[in-house]
Amino acid sequence: MEQKILFNIVQVLVVMAFAPLVRGVLNRLKERIQSKRGPSIFQPYFDIWKLFHKDEVVSEHSSWIFRATPYIVFVTPIFVTLLIPVLTGYPLFFAFMADMLGGGFILALGGFFATLAAIDTANPYGPMGASRTRMVGFLAEPVFMIVFFTVSFVAGSTIPYIVQKHWVTPLANFFEPAHVLVMLSFLMLIIAETGSIPVDSPSGHFELAMVDESKGLEYSGRGAALMKWGGCTKFFVLLCIFLNVLVSPWGLAHGEAIGEVFLAVPLVLAKILVFILVLAVIESSLAKLRLFRIPEFLGAAFVTSVAAVITRLLQS
Amino acid sequence: MELIYILLIPVVVAALSLFPTKGRDFAPLTTITGTAAVFIASLHTALKASAGSDVVAVEGWLACDAFGGLLLLLVSFVGLTAAIFSWGYTGRIAGPNATVRVCRYYRRYNLFLVSMLAVPVLSHISMVWIAVELTTLLSVFLVSFPNTPEAIEAAWKYSVLTCMGAALALFGILILYWGMTISGGGPFTWSGLLAAAPKMPPALLQTGFLFILIGFGTKAGLVPLHTWLPDAHSQAPSPVCALLSGVETSTALYAIMRLIPAVQAITDGHSGRWVLIFGLVSAGFAAFLLIQVKEYKRLFAFSTIEHMGIILVAVGMGGAGAYFGATYQILSHTMAKSFCFFAAGAALRVAGARDINSVKGLIRESPLVGASLLLGALAISGAPPFAVFLSELTILKAGVSSGQYVATGLLALFVVIAFCGIMFHISRMVFGKPMPHSESRPLPTSYATSLSLAAIPVCLFGLYIPGPLLELLRLAANALGR
Amino acid sequence: MPGTDSTILLLTELNALAASFFLLTAFGLIATRQILACLRIFVIQATFLAASAFILSYQNASGSLFIVGGITLAVKAVLIPWLLLGTLGDELRSRREISQVFNISTSLLISLILVVFAYFVSVPLLGSAPGGASSVNLPIGLAGLLLGAYAMTVRREAVPQVIAILSMENGAFFAGIAIAPDLPLIAELAAAFDVLIITRVLGVLVMKVHEHIGTTAVGDMAALKEE
Repeated sequence: MEQKILFNIVQVLVVMAFAPLVRGVLNRLKERIQSKRGPSIFQPYFDIWKLFHKDEVVSEHSSWIFRATPYIVFVTPIFVTLLIPVLTGYPLFFAFMADMLGGGFILALGGFFATLAAIDTANPYGPMGASRTRMVGFLAEPVFMIVFFTVSFVAGSTIPYIVQKHWVTPLANFFEPAHVLVMLSFLMLIIAETGSIPVDSPSGHFELAMVDESKGLEYSGRGAALMKWGGCTKFFVLLCIFLNVLVSPWGLAHGEAIGEVFLAVPLVLAKILVFILVLAVIESSLAKLRLFRIPEFLGAAFVTSVAAVITRLLQS
Repeated sequence: MELIYILLIPVVVAALSLFPTKGRDFAPLTTITGTAAVFIASLHTALKASAGSDVVAVEGWLACDAFGGLLLLLVSFVGLTAAIFSWGYTGRIAGPNATVRVCRYYRRYNLFLVSMLAVPVLSHISMVWIAVELTTLLSVFLVSFPNTPEAIEAAWKYSVLTCMGAALALFGILILYWGMTISGGGPFTWSGLLAAAPKMPPALLQTGFLFILIGFGTKAGLVPLHTWLPDAHSQAPSPVCALLSGVETSTALYAIMRLIPAVQAITDGHSGRWVLIFGLVSAGFAAFLLIQVKEYKRLFAFSTIEHMGIILVAVGMGGAGAYFGATYQILSHTMAKSFCFFAAGAALRVAGARDINSVKGLIRESPLVGASLLLGALAISGAPPFAVFLSELTILKAGVSSGQYVATGLLALFVVIAFCGIMFHISRMVFGKPMPHSESRPLPTSYATSLSLAAIPVCLFGLYIPGPLLELLRLAANALGR
Repeated sequence: MPGTDSTILLLTELNALAASFFLLTAFGLIATRQILACLRIFVIQATFLAASAFILSYQNASGSLFIVGGITLAVKAVLIPWLLLGTLGDELRSRREISQVFNISTSLLISLILVVFAYFVSVPLLGSAPGGASSVNLPIGLAGLLLGAYAMTVRREAVPQVIAILSMENGAFFAGIAIAPDLPLIAELAAAFDVLIITRVLGVLVMKVHEHIGTTAVGDMAALKEE
C-alpha cells in the first residue's frame, strides 16, 4: 500500500519535472525542421525560473479569479496525473478516484478558469482569444464523448488502467478499427486542445490571431510561471493518456520493485520523444487553418470517431 | 445461332464505319442493310419463341425466351426504321469534316443498337446489368451529337443520373446473387432466380428488388428520378430520340419486369404495391407536366414517362389480364412513340423550330408531315382505334375486374389528362394558318420512307395483330405471372 | 492458408480496419475542397477495396477474389487516374476550390445520417445469412454507395461528380467481394472494363462541356429548365 502511494508521488514528481523538457524538445525540433538553430531544450526551465524571480503586476480591475487561476491551471493536470498510467501498468492508490471522464472534466476545469481569467482583465485581446478557445472546446466536446464511449464500449471500463490492458493482450486487438480510428480522432483532439497547428499557432505573437496563447497574455512573474508550467504539464498529461492508454501500452512497470518504476521513466520519455517527432513533422508541414475552417477539422475528428463506433457495432 | 448473328452484325457494321474514305453514303447504307438483316434474324427468333420453345445459342449465357423475343423484335424494328431516318438526318450534316462526323454517328448508332439488343439475349443477370449500363454509355455521345450547349447539358444530366442509377442496381443484383448462393446456388439467370426464390430469405429478395427498381427505374424515367429524360429525349437527333424513347426505356423496364415473378412468389403483394405506387406517381406527374411544355419533342418525352408509369401500374396490379396489357402496352408504345419522334423530326426539318408556338398549320405546309404528326399524336395519346387505346383498355379492364378501383380510376384520369394535353398542343401545331419560316427545307425521301414504314404497325396493330405476335404477347405475359 | 485462430482473428481485424478506412475515404470525398484531392481520395479508396479483397481471398482461399483485388488495383488505382489526368489534366489542376450545395459541416452530418441508415438497412439482411466478413463489408459498402450518391448530388462541378459516381461503384464492389465472392470472373472483368468506359466517356463529355458551355460548373447549367 505504501509502495502505491510512493509510486503515485513519484509519478507526479516525474510529470512536473519533465513537462517543460518535453515542450522544449518540441520547440527545438520544430525550429530544426525549418533549418533554424532553435532555443536550447532546457529553455522552458530557464523561462520558468526567471519568471519566478520577477515581480507580479496585477490589474486592479481584476477579481479573485485572476489571482486564483494560475494555481488552478497548475494543479488540475497534477490531479489528472494521479489517475492515469504514467509509469506503472497496474492501478495505483488514487487510480479509482475518477475515471477518464472525470479526468477530462478536471482538465476542462482548468481551461474554464483560464478563459474566465482572460475575460476578467478587460484586456481587449483576452476575451477574443477566450471566445475562440471556447468555440474549439465546445466543438471538441462531442468528439471527446464519442471517443470515451467507444473506448469504454470496447474495453468495458473507463478506468485508464483497465482500458489499457485491452489493447495489449491479443495483438489482433491493436488493429481493431475501433482502436485505430479512436487513435486518429484523439490525435486530432490533442492538436485542438493543446493549440498546435493546424488549429492554432503556438509560437505566434500576433494577438489578433491567437486562440490558446491569449490566456497567458496578462500574467507576469509567478502567475506567468505557473501558467506556463501548467500548460506544459497539461500537454504532458494528454500525451501520457494518448500514448500509455491508446497507442503503445507497453514499457510500463508491472512489478512492485522501485527499480522497475525508475526504469519506466526513460521508456516513457522515449515514447514521448517519438510522438513529439511525429507532432513536429505534422506541425511543420501543415498551415494554420482559418478560424471558420476549424469546425470542419473537428467535424472530421467527429466523423472519424463515429466511424469507429459504427464499425465496432457492426463487428459485434 | 441467330442470336450470335444478331449481336455480331451491328458490331461489324460499326467497324466498317471506321473507314470514312468510302464516301458519305457508305456508312448509312451498310447500317440500313445491317439493321434489316438484324430485323430478319429477330423475326426468326421471335417466331421460334412464339411457338413455345426458347431459343438457345450458348447454354447459360445466350438465350432468348418469349418476352425476350418480343423486346428483340421491337428493338430491331425501331433500329431499322431509325436507321432509314438517320440517312436523311445525316444528309444534312455539312462542313469540312462532315464525312468523319457521319461515320462517327453510324459507328455510335450501331454500337448503341448492339447494347440494346444484348439486354434480352444475355442470360446471366450480371451481364444484363452490364448491357444496360452500356446502353447508357454508348448513347451519351449520340445525345450530344448536335454539339449545341443544350445537347451537351442534356447528355451530361443523362449520363450522370443513369450511371448513379446503374450503381444502385448493381448493389441490388449483388444482394440477389448473395441470396441465391445462400439458398443453394443455381444458375444466376431469370429462370434460375425464379426457381430459387422460394428458398431465399425474403428480406434479401425484397431489398435487392427495391434497389434494382430504383436503379433501373432511373433509366426508365420513373419519377422522381426522371429529370434527365425530357432533356435527353428532346435534344438528341430525332432518330436517336426514337430509339431512346421507344426502346431504351423499355429495356430498362424489361429488366425490372423480369424480376417480378420471383418477387411476387414470396412477398405476396408488397412489392406489387410499391411498383403500383411508383407507376401511378410517374404517370400522374408526367400527365400534369406535359400540359405546360413548350417544345413538342419534350411533349413526347413526357409521354414516354407516362407510358412507363402505365406499364408499371399494370405490372403492379397483377393478374393475367394486367400482365397481358403490360406486354401489349410495351408493343403499342414502342411502335407509336418511335413514329411520333419520326414525325417530330420531320416537323423540325420542315418548320425549323423546336417550340410549339412557332409551328402552325403543318398540315397545309407539308401534308405528309402534318398528317403523320396528327396520326402519331392520336396513336400515342390513346385514341381509338389505335393499339395504345386497346392496351390501355385492357389494363383498365383488368384493374376493375381485380377490384383495384382507386388505382384504375387514377390511371384513367391520368390517361385522359395526357390525351387532352397532347392533342391540345399537337392540334395547335397541325391546324391553323401556316407561319412563314425562314429555314424550311424539303423533306428527304428517307424521312418519308421511314415514316411510312413505321406507320404500318401503328395503324395495323390496333385492328389486327398477327397470330404469332399475339402468341408472343401471351407467352411474354405468362413469363410475368405465376 | 488460414490456420490458427489468432491468424483468423488478426485477418478479421485487418479487414475491418480496411473497411473503416474505406468509410473514412467516402467521408473524405464529401469533405474535400480540391479537385485533385478528390482524385487522390478515390485512389486511396480503391486501394483499401483491393486490400479488403486480398485479405478476404486469403481468408477464403479463393483465387478469383485475388484476381479481383488485382484488377481493382490495376484499373482503379492506376488506369483511371491516368485516364482522367490525361483527358482532364488541365481541368483537374486548374481550379482550387470546389463548392457544394450545403457547407461541409452540414454535409458531414448528413452523411453520418446516411451511414446510420445504411446500418439499419443492412441489419435485417445480415440476420438471414451467416456472418463473417459480410457483416462488416455489406453495411460499409452500402454506406459508400449512398455517400457517393450524396456527393454526386451536392457537388456543383463536373469532375467531382464523376469521381463520386466511380466511388459509388467502389462501394457496391466493396459489398460484393464479401457477399458475392464467386461471381463469374467474366462478370468481374466486364464490370472493370465498364468502369473504364464510364471514365473515358464522362471524361470526354466533361471536355465537351468545357468547350461548348465554357465552365464545368454543371450545377449551374439551367438552359433546359421550363420557366
